[in-house]
Order: sequence, then C-alpha cells, then structure tokens
Amino acid sequence: MNKIGGPRSQPQSRSYLAALWHRREFAIALAFGNLKARHAATSLGIVWWVLNPLLFGAVYFLVFGLIFGGARRSVDYLPYLLSGLFAFNYTTASMTGAVNSILSNDKLLVNLQFPRLILPLAALVEAAVGFMASMVAYYVIVAPTLGVYPTLQTLMLPAIFVLHTGFNLGLAAVAARLVIPFRDVKNLIPIAVRLWFYLSPVLWPIAFLDNIPHAMQLVVKANPIFPLLVLYRSALVGAPIEVENLAFATVWAVVLGTVGVILFVRHEDQIARYL
Amino acid sequence: MTGPAITIDDVVVSYRPYTDRNPTLKRALAQRRLRSSVTVTALDQVSFSVEKGEAFGVIGANGAGKSTLLRVLAGTLKPDEGSVHVDGHISPLLALGLGFNRQLSGLRNIYLGGLAGGLRRAEIDQKVDSIVTYSGIGDAVFRPVKTYSSGMFARLAFSVAMAMEPDILLLDEVLAVGDREFHDQSMETMQALLARSGTIVFVSHALAQVKSFCDRALWLEQGEVRALGPAEDVVAAYEAAGGRRRKQ
Repeated sequence: MNKIGGPRSQPQSRSYLAALWHRREFAIALAFGNLKARHAATSLGIVWWVLNPLLFGAVYFLVFGLIFGGARRSVDYLPYLLSGLFAFNYTTASMTGAVNSILSNDKLLVNLQFPRLILPLAALVEAAVGFMASMVAYYVIVAPTLGVYPTLQTLMLPAIFVLHTGFNLGLAAVAARLVIPFRDVKNLIPIAVRLWFYLSPVLWPIAFLDNIPHAMQLVVKANPIFPLLVLYRSALVGAPIEVENLAFATVWAVVLGTVGVILFVRHEDQIARYL
Repeated sequence: MTGPAITIDDVVVSYRPYTDRNPTLKRALAQRRLRSSVTVTALDQVSFSVEKGEAFGVIGANGAGKSTLLRVLAGTLKPDEGSVHVDGHISPLLALGLGFNRQLSGLRNIYLGGLAGGLRRAEIDQKVDSIVTYSGIGDAVFRPVKTYSSGMFARLAFSVAMAMEPDILLLDEVLAVGDREFHDQSMETMQALLARSGTIVFVSHALAQVKSFCDRALWLEQGEVRALGPAEDVVAAYEAAGGRRRKQ
C-alpha cells in the first residue's frame, strides 16, 4: 500500500535524494530536449551553441573594449572580458532557466507526481551545457588567435566549475521557489541580474578597485560571485590562484546550494495550489 | 492482490484564493500577508473507495471539484485533511502528452513522455517499437510533433501513456479526440486493463459514456458527495436534478 498523501507530508531528505536520483534520466532528457528544440528550426543548428556566446562577446567587446576604450588600457581585455562574461552568463541562464522551467511546465506539475527539484535541475544542466559550449568557443577560437594558452591554473577549471554549479543551483532553486507565488519575479530577475552584472568585475578590471575607498572595496568584494569570477580569470587567463578566493567560493557554493535546495523542497508540496 | 485500489477518507482541500488571479509581490507587501481570508472548499469530507478491476465515473457540474479530486489522486495536490491510499502504479491522463516538446520528433517525445511518466530509458528502448505500432502514426514519428494533427497527437500521447502499463488510469475527458478507429482501439485497451484488475477513474460530462462504461459513479456538487453508487442510478439522479433545475 502506497500512501501518497496525508496532511502536508514533508519529504524525507534521504528518500527525496533517492527519488531525484531515480529520475535523473528525466532531468537530462528535459534539458537536452530543450537544448535541441531551441535551435531545431535554425539552419545553423548546433553551431549556434558556440556562435551565440561568441557574438555576444563580440558585442560587449565592441562597446566596452573599443568604444569605451577598455582594450586600450589593457591588452588582455578581450580574454578578461570573455572569461567573466561566459561565467556570469552561466549564472544568469541558470536562474532564468529555472524560473521558466516552473512556468512552462505547469501541466506537468499539476498532473504528475515527481520530485519538483527535477525542473530547476534540468534548467541547470541546460545552462551548464551552454557554458561548456562557450568554453569550447573560448579555447578553440578566441584563445589561439589571441595567444592565450592553457596554463597550470587551467587544471583548476573543473573544480571552479563544480563550485560555480553549486552556487548556481542555490540561486536557481531560490528563483524557482519565489516565482511560484510571485510571478513578478520573472520580470524582476533580468533587472536585478543586470544591476548585479555591472557591480561585478566583468566589464571593469579588478584594478579599478584600487581607486575607491577601502570600505567600498569591501562591499564590492562581498559580492558572492566575486571570488568565482576572480578564480575563472586565473584559470582562463593564467593569473595565480589565491586560496582566499577558493575558500570564499567554496563557502558560498555550499551555503547557497544547501539553503536554496531546502527552501525549494520545503515548499514544493504547495506548487500545485498556485497553478 | 485484494483490497481496494484507491481509498480516500474524509479528504478536504481548501484554497485560500487570491483576490485576483495572480498574486503579486506588491499586494503581498501591501497586505503583509500572502493570502486572502476567504476560503473556498474544493473538496469537503469526500470519502470513497474504488475496487480493482472497476471503472469508476466522476460526474458533476463545472467547478464541482472533479479536477481537484483527480489532482489529489494523482498525488500532485496534498489534501488539507483526510488520507489518500493508492495501491498500484497510477498514470494520469488528465492531459495528454505530458512532458512532450512540440518542437521535437515523435520519437524523442516517446522518450520524454515515458521518462516523465516514470519509465527508465532502457524500458522505453524495449517498448518504443510497440508504441509506434500501437499509435499507428507510422513514419510521422520522425517528424516534429508540432506538424501533427490533433488526432495524431492524441494517438501518440495515448500510446505512450498506455506503455507505462498503469494499474490505475485517471482519465479526464481526453478520449473525445481521435477518429472512430482510434476510439474503438482505446476502448479495447481500457477493457483489457480492467480485465487484468486494472482500475479506471473516468471524469466526464458524457453521461451516456459514464453509464455504459463505468460500474459505479460519484456525483460531486460544490465539493461534496451528492451521490455514490451504481453508475446508472447516479447518472439518472444527476439527470433528474439537472432537469429540475432547468425547469425553474
């Protein structure tokens, strides 16, 4: 006898993880289905995975590198810009993807019982694949033309990616959790993310921090994505890795990942009531 | 195995609806609370059980709580009070084509729909040929689903749902689509399901269909059980009440 509902039964954490693991193929099929569908009707198809981040990077380089002169101040501006841009984009894509995964799968949520975290997780997988494609674009096309080659620090890339993924999982889960009662979140996220983007060291070099008061520096460095961006620069451009940043990135990944998932899962019983 | 397939006891589901359709952050902040104090009871102390091998009809006017009841049975909506026991693998056909992505081919959607319903990829590998054959859509399975007619879509979706070999099937007025041949084929499949002690819960406004297909029926009115018993009697009572109301 399988009891499927008493009043407000809370999922047990271990059996919840087991149920998630049992449904992993579903999460992956959803993610790759979306990835395939996204460019299904285009003539270039899969090429867009690599072309998209490149064109995106080209626009930012044109505006901030050439027009505003970022490239005149530093010869390494382009690899600096792209590494930050691609990394930040992974976070943005995770959050917006998670929100859309809840809103566009309302039929699924109303009709089928499954661990709801599957949906934001599928969005995370989708965003991660997109990020990997942009890394391919970076190493196959950008790096050779600019003479930036993998260094010893590049070996840290998988570890940084894992931390970044934990970080994004937390943000994706929180965004998905909030959009269920508050549809406004879908409109707020792009704006909040844009502000966050300009406050993060993506377009401006970290050396800019030397020109501002110490107290302000601390505020800017308290930005949770700050250590991750610095780590990506080390891995992609070749600066030495600072243990301090690695420690902060780990703490943020663990805290955000855990808190986000718990917030989402504790509320998931209620999702069907809002649809 | 003996014992009922579905037992629900004193199930209560109430919504505290928002004043408008969608809640907004502004309103929540302004009111300092998320929900209005008005409570709408969608299901009020509903109890019944459905035996294995039984086709069980649910009838009632729009807004009587039929869809809420199906969501409770499917396990997607937790009741506020009462308990729900389900014995067996449940497959909701509340909406056809769950998990489908219309941009992708029928073949990919067989996998998406199957995985959504809880099958493993390896299981689908074994079933995919019979799903395609049963659906009768032929080579169209390689085309994107968005190019399908609504009948073809229903055929494929129904075939995927049946491939999950459910013990309990929840049907929400879905068999109105598809041509005569498909209709007969799906009826045959459902009779076979009943014959191997499967259970069907059938929500419909097609009273004649409920009368002929279901053994027993439940009449819901404003979330309460108005009548429960042999399908013919319940449908007759419902028709009589409806007739009376129309005369007034």
